[in-house]
Amino acid sequence: MTGIQERLATGKGKFTPLYPELGTGPVSYEDSISQEFFEAERDAVFRRSWLKVGRVEQVPRTGSYFTRDLPGLGSIVVVRQADGSVAAFHNVCAHRGNKVVWQEHPGEETKGFCREFSCKYHGWRYGLDGRVTHVTNEEQFFGLDKSALGMPRVHCDTWAGFIFVNFARDAEPLSGFLGDRMLELESYPFGEMTQHFGYKTRIKGNWKLSIDAVLEWYHPPYVHGRFIDPDVSKAEKLVPPVDAYHYDIFEPHMLTSVPGPPPLPPREPGALGPARRDQKWVYRLFRAGLFGPDDVPDVGPLPAALNKGRINSWGNDSFWLFPNFSFQIWARNFYITYQYWPESLDSHTYELDIYFPPPRNAQERLAQELVADSTIEFAMQDSNTVEATHSALATRANGKFHLSDQELLIRNFHKVIRDAVAAHQSSGER
Amino acid sequence: MTNQATTLPESFRELEPYVADWALPTRQERYDMRLSKTIDELGEFYDAIAPRAEEAIGYLNELDLNDLPDDATRLLHLLYSMVLVSYPVNVFKQPRIPDSGAAFFDTVAEPSV
Ligand code: FES
Ligand SMILES: [Fe+2]
Repeated sequence: MTGIQERLATGKGKFTPLYPELGTGPVSYEDSISQEFFEAERDAVFRRSWLKVGRVEQVPRTGSYFTRDLPGLGSIVVVRQADGSVAAFHNVCAHRGNKVVWQEHPGEETKGFCREFSCKYHGWRYGLDGRVTHVTNEEQFFGLDKSALGMPRVHCDTWAGFIFVNFARDAEPLSGFLGDRMLELESYPFGEMTQHFGYKTRIKGNWKLSIDAVLEWYHPPYVHGRFIDPDVSKAEKLVPPVDAYHYDIFEPHMLTSVPGPPPLPPREPGALGPARRDQKWVYRLFRAGLFGPDDVPDVGPLPAALNKGRINSWGNDSFWLFPNFSFQIWARNFYITYQYWPESLDSHTYELDIYFPPPRNAQERLAQELVADSTIEFAMQDSNTVEATHSALATRANGKFHLSDQELLIRNFHKVIRDAVAAHQSSGER
Repeated sequence: MTNQATTLPESFRELEPYVADWALPTRQERYDMRLSKTIDELGEFYDAIAPRAEEAIGYLNELDLNDLPDDATRLLHLLYSMVLVSYPVNVFKQPRIPDSGAAFFDTVAEPSV
């Protein structure tokens, strides 16, 4: 074993056998390449789960709003109400169905601030509570009960500053969906981390394959080899040993905890040395690396619910919320969110957002720039692998695949999605 | 060139030839510039700014990040560009990230400074 491997090894046994319902046998990937499954999944999973659509910082005051155009689900308006709560509506006019809130391009999302929404077609207006406040030439209509008209409501609630919606007719409460293990994280200072870098891309592959690509720590020496060491045999020795990680499943959600290097101590003047074409020199210059800034800002006390697996040299906790959202809390006091929206069987959008506390000076700002840039360079490599995997799986030349212990969250993720589809189908609900 | 006014803080005037291409305010513009260059051109920019970078950070640290004068803002943008070209120059040896195919992220939010 190499130094890093000796330092981090725990001698823990395998994790998968702790979850007997997952099994250990080969798996099918039909759930990622079947059109029929895709349509069932949209109904069973996306039309009846709590889905994160934003952060409360996006709607700072009464009348602040943004729209989300969610593929296969529709356009919604999310708006801050006069009582401070956040509400969501289907972005559909009660008159003749026009999309009420949009600017310039009807297919693009928008945001802003207003006292009322007005439809661009015939000027009907809506209050922030979604109810119709004005009908143009109202007397021309026939028995119209204006008080009963509005943009249809979508269930909306917030937790830890994240805004969630649920398209089901009857939705279970958000707190019940999140469960106790997630609720323990409520006190994490997400709201202090307002320095936001956001990125978006479209990937030609099933959305679940994108999630698979970040649920395991088996691929880094290969997919990201050049970041670690261009010589793969060396890269293999520079990653933590398989028993250095921690996994937990609290259905339908789950967690992986990852080790990471400690921050560098403050640099003595003159200690940097002359400029070199060497990324390690760049990391020392900007005081940041793949695991975050070296000058870790104080964000106050953190909830005890982090690093519950007590792994050595903790790097981050990635919490996976059913079905398509992850937030990753880093030991160096910043967080990243990942979200995947299926557009079709073989296409999805991928949103990656990084949040830091506001920087106090240029050094801290540049450290954030380096972390943000490194994260995206990594993510691009992961994304391309997804396209390659989908196209090969879709041939059905092989129908049976094998997951190691390190890939237990993949096993669980596909299982909870398949279970949700099966439960919905057997309930006969449409 | 000798009498030309610098658009950077005086002590960093030697970096003036890189201002037009690299003192860009958005990640999208910086990334587009990276992809438009050869790896040798990226290396040339890196080699010019890297020896001055520690000093530049020290200079900027003395200023209020949220109220930077224009010349200091340009210097900061050059450093953002240095971050962006560091991976191609030091790790990938090509402008584009290897094996990323068509994958590309659009920037939808970034800090104003
Ligand atoms: S469709 Fe909205 S006012 Fe007519
Ligand atoms: Fe990866």
